[in-house]
Amino acid sequence: MTANLSESQFKIQQLEKENRILHKKLERAQTTNLQLEETTRKKESLLRQVIEEVKDSQATLEQKSNELERAYLNLKDTQTQLIQAEKMSSLGQLVAGVAHEINNPVNFIHGNLRHIEDYAVSLTDFLKIYEMYCPNPSAEIQQQAEDMDIAFIKTDLGKILASMKMGTERIREIVLSLRNFSRMDEAESKYVDIHEGIESTLLILQHRLKANSQRPEIVVIRDFGNLPNIECFAGQLNQVVMNIVSNAIDALDSSLKKTSTAQEHPQILLRTTANLDRVSISIIDNGTGIPLSVRKHIFEPFFTTKAVGKGTGMGMAISYQIIVEKHCGQLECNSEEGIGTEFNITLPTTLRPQA
Amino acid sequence: MKFMLKLAVGHSNDPDSQDAITEVLEQIHTTLAGDIPRAGLLFAAIDFEHDQILQKVAETFPNIELIGGTTDGEMSSVLGFEQDSLTLVVFCSDTITISAGIGHNVSKDVDAAAQAAVQQARAAHTEDIQFCISLPESLTTSSQIILDSLKQTLGVQVPIFGGLTADQWRFQQTYQFFKTEVYSDAAPVLLFSGPILFSHGIASGWQPIGKAGQVSKAKDNVVYEIDNQPALAFYHRYLGSLPPSSEYPLALLDSDSDRYYMRAPSGIYDKTTGSITFFGTVPEKTVVHITETTHDDILSASQQSTQQALASYPGKSPAAALFFSCASRRQILGSRTQEEYKQAQHLLGPMLPICGFYTNGEISPLQKQGDTYMHNETFITLLLGDA
Repeated sequence: MTANLSESQFKIQQLEKENRILHKKLERAQTTNLQLEETTRKKESLLRQVIEEVKDSQATLEQKSNELERAYLNLKDTQTQLIQAEKMSSLGQLVAGVAHEINNPVNFIHGNLRHIEDYAVSLTDFLKIYEMYCPNPSAEIQQQAEDMDIAFIKTDLGKILASMKMGTERIREIVLSLRNFSRMDEAESKYVDIHEGIESTLLILQHRLKANSQRPEIVVIRDFGNLPNIECFAGQLNQVVMNIVSNAIDALDSSLKKTSTAQEHPQILLRTTANLDRVSISIIDNGTGIPLSVRKHIFEPFFTTKAVGKGTGMGMAISYQIIVEKHCGQLECNSEEGIGTEFNITLPTTLRPQA
Repeated sequence: MKFMLKLAVGHSNDPDSQDAITEVLEQIHTTLAGDIPRAGLLFAAIDFEHDQILQKVAETFPNIELIGGTTDGEMSSVLGFEQDSLTLVVFCSDTITISAGIGHNVSKDVDAAAQAAVQQARAAHTEDIQFCISLPESLTTSSQIILDSLKQTLGVQVPIFGGLTADQWRFQQTYQFFKTEVYSDAAPVLLFSGPILFSHGIASGWQPIGKAGQVSKAKDNVVYEIDNQPALAFYHRYLGSLPPSSEYPLALLDSDSDRYYMRAPSGIYDKTTGSITFFGTVPEKTVVHITETTHDDILSASQQSTQQALASYPGKSPAAALFFSCASRRQILGSRTQEEYKQAQHLLGPMLPICGFYTNGEISPLQKQGDTYMHNETFITLLLGDA
């Protein structure tokens, strides 16, 4: 009986102890649960922030990578422009040198032609007087005059002199154009008449405009407005006009080759207009036009559709740089396949001071 | 034959203080089989009637050199990992000298407290002190300052092990025990001399994450500003509106070694000034990162710690193991906390007496023969045996 009682008491004690422990554990579990929830919330918050930071640094990285890419492209541009500038500078020097060297002897010839003309006139006049007063010279003189064909010399001499004069005039014009084109003396901008530059450029390209076995002559139409002198780097601007007109000629040549129904009236229209403080030069050809896929890349350095060795792919890139960066102007290309291509150069009349 | 070192462990999860200590002492009596313990370590949950427990121990073992403290969780080879429990480990030896001391009011005069504790404990020793176990206060002052003071008093060649007393993540008040007395704001020590062998291992498992900041204003263990912003703002950036806590410590970049060490927030912070108090000194100009970890990282670090201790143990096999693990580890591990103990025990074998607790800061040297450091988020294994 007593044993049973004490056994029961022991069991009760055991149960009470277990009850206490369970209570404490429950209490504890609840606290721990709350603490863990808070820890989890902190962890979530931490991870969110870290993800944000990762995104941030990813964005920063992307930005940096873009900047680097831009810097690299700029560098490449600058490099090619430097190469081109160096090339152009050498070419300019060469052209200026040649022009200078030719200029002196041509002037020499041109200057003396007048004297030759005077002498020829005097000699012809003298011959006339002689013939008047000596209508019947000796047989020997008559024979000599017949051999020389004096009558022909008298009529032809004037013509020869006139054509020589024209020839030296042409040479002088070309020399002037070369000097105009190279403008080696003009590292700085100055106010110039754009039309003068365009004419010089056209003169240099004259031989390419002429008719050949493949096509008739390319007609150049000038639709020049009344332009003020504008402030620009004249040599460089000439280079741009030269590049575009030369490309237009290439386009007309190749379009004539490509199509069987040959373009019968190849032409290049040069139009200049003035508008407030800006002037624009349009160079429009009636070739086959430039497809969009090519047009998209036309101002990129080294982009060319010409056969290897025929073009550097630099012409339009340099032109773009000269117009947009050097002159703060615009260079646009519009083209419709089958109709033709139009290049528009827009320039401010006054250059903004360079930064 | 004289026995050199024998440890006995008792552990009870009975919430009733009298019943718990009675159960613990019964277990120890069974193991001791008549041997008289010289010293002991008592780890108790915060809610017990600590003075009753100490009284009971003193009645059972009148001359025991006992120190102890409140915890964030307890572990032993008797019950494994427990919370709201009581565990006592006692040391018996004829050849090893073990003695206790205590210094009070560490927040007022830390040097005086450290000197008092060490002098009191050292009196019993005739040989060089081999090592010290200390269980200092964690909330009233920088534990780093307490540790520095103890090191200075003991001499830097004496390794110190142990952990800061805790209060189950409440961050209100912790207690330290010395013989029959219950203290707060105190630093008890246990000094060992004679033919005792020991080795230890330490590992953490936390990793820096997020952007770096630089401590721009700090004094001792209080950080006022990081990157010239209130320190709280740095934490709020990552933890949202939730307060800083020790499971999200800062990793501090050691400018000399390019390695990180951990400093955990003590749970004390000032909303108005934005300052945060840490378990340990945070020097100005230090580069800091917030850190985080996973269960697996924490658990593998515990194993690593025990493996290190075993690998460097100088004798044949240890007689016992003590664990000091960080409260933050328990906080993150949750129900997996028991795995930490189980994995470490698995490496040590089922027969070895083990006792330990979850602390508010761990104390141990980094290497075998090195300077003692204050750690956070760390698992320390201390193996003991006789020569």
